[in-house]
Amino acid sequence: MKKLSSNEREEKKETTGIPSQPESDTQLAETVHLLQAQIRSLERQVQTVKRSPVQIGLVFAAPGILSLAISVLSQSQVLAFIGLGLTFWGALFILVRPVMYIRGTLLTTTSTPLYSTIDRVLNDIKCKGRGLYIPPSPKHLKVLKIGYAYLPEHLKGLEETVVFISAGSDTPTPLEEIATGKFMTKNPKGIVLIPPGSGLIEQLEKSAKTDFTEMSLEDLCTSLPQLIMETFQLAKEIDIRTENGQVHLKTTDSIFRSLYLDETLNSLKLLGCPLASAVGCAIAKATGKPVSLQKITTSPDARTIEVSYSLVEAQK
Amino acid sequence: MNFPMSFADISLWIAVMAIILLLTSELLTSSTGPLRNVGIDKRILRSLALALGMAFMTTVVMRFFNFA
Repeated sequence: MKKLSSNEREEKKETTGIPSQPESDTQLAETVHLLQAQIRSLERQVQTVKRSPVQIGLVFAAPGILSLAISVLSQSQVLAFIGLGLTFWGALFILVRPVMYIRGTLLTTTSTPLYSTIDRVLNDIKCKGRGLYIPPSPKHLKVLKIGYAYLPEHLKGLEETVVFISAGSDTPTPLEEIATGKFMTKNPKGIVLIPPGSGLIEQLEKSAKTDFTEMSLEDLCTSLPQLIMETFQLAKEIDIRTENGQVHLKTTDSIFRSLYLDETLNSLKLLGCPLASAVGCAIAKATGKPVSLQKITTSPDARTIEVSYSLVEAQK
Repeated sequence: MNFPMSFADISLWIAVMAIILLLTSELLTSSTGPLRNVGIDKRILRSLALALGMAFMTTVVMRFFNFA
């Protein structure tokens, strides 16, 4: 354990009010007393944060109902207005409960192990290709919509968007092997993964009550940024535009920006962060074509992230 | 024992509440500043605001046709 110098000790004492290394029993007792006081104060703070909106609603609604009752008895219009207002706001506080929020850093810290695992797999089979987002089979989706048939068992791999990373560069896509649901393909060598953004795109589709396979690329470029910002507020600004057959995504202050500051995550450069991956999935779904993640450019502090995707024409 | 507010009073009250809620929901959903972090379910707020707006319009129509 690192020992603190006398200056550092004094500094720590000044900031927290607690001596870092108590020298006598009295000082120790004082320290314990101070720490207990701090714990009590923190508990109070936590309770304030945790206070249920139902309680706040009841605080408003109870006097409101009482006021309404008195207004009827005393025929007072003022009391009726007050009562109506308080009851209404009480009911509103109970109804408009806060949705559960989590710290943004939790999203990145929980994503890091996933990318590290993919890195290990990629290093093991020495993958050098780029991430290729393969759209789900449109036939399958159509059939599902009618609701009377499903894809046969041997084509189950085409049910959802997957990402293929080949061992070499410029290799054809092993669609047959992907369709059979393989994790490692042999010809050409590579791996098939579920994209990190697949969950996010599913949630976006659910909240917008839409299916990206039925959208045109232009509509997607217009509606997806707004949808991401309004529904999940994953970035301050998102812009998607098409240019020369490529699709460019630009995000400012993305919640996943700290992932890009980690230089060791190679798979991140191939697949993109969950947000970039979700956009890749959406483009693949909307166009029905495989989408290759071409380039990721970030500013030094990763506040601005630019991702370029290109559409891959079907192989004949 | 009658309720001490007339139909017109209630209509006015609904209008004021609808305006407050509509403004709040619009500001909260379109804001990119600190307001965007307000931890309430903005969809329910917006639906409530719209419902109150509709309720006010209904009262107006009712008064127009002398239903109340």
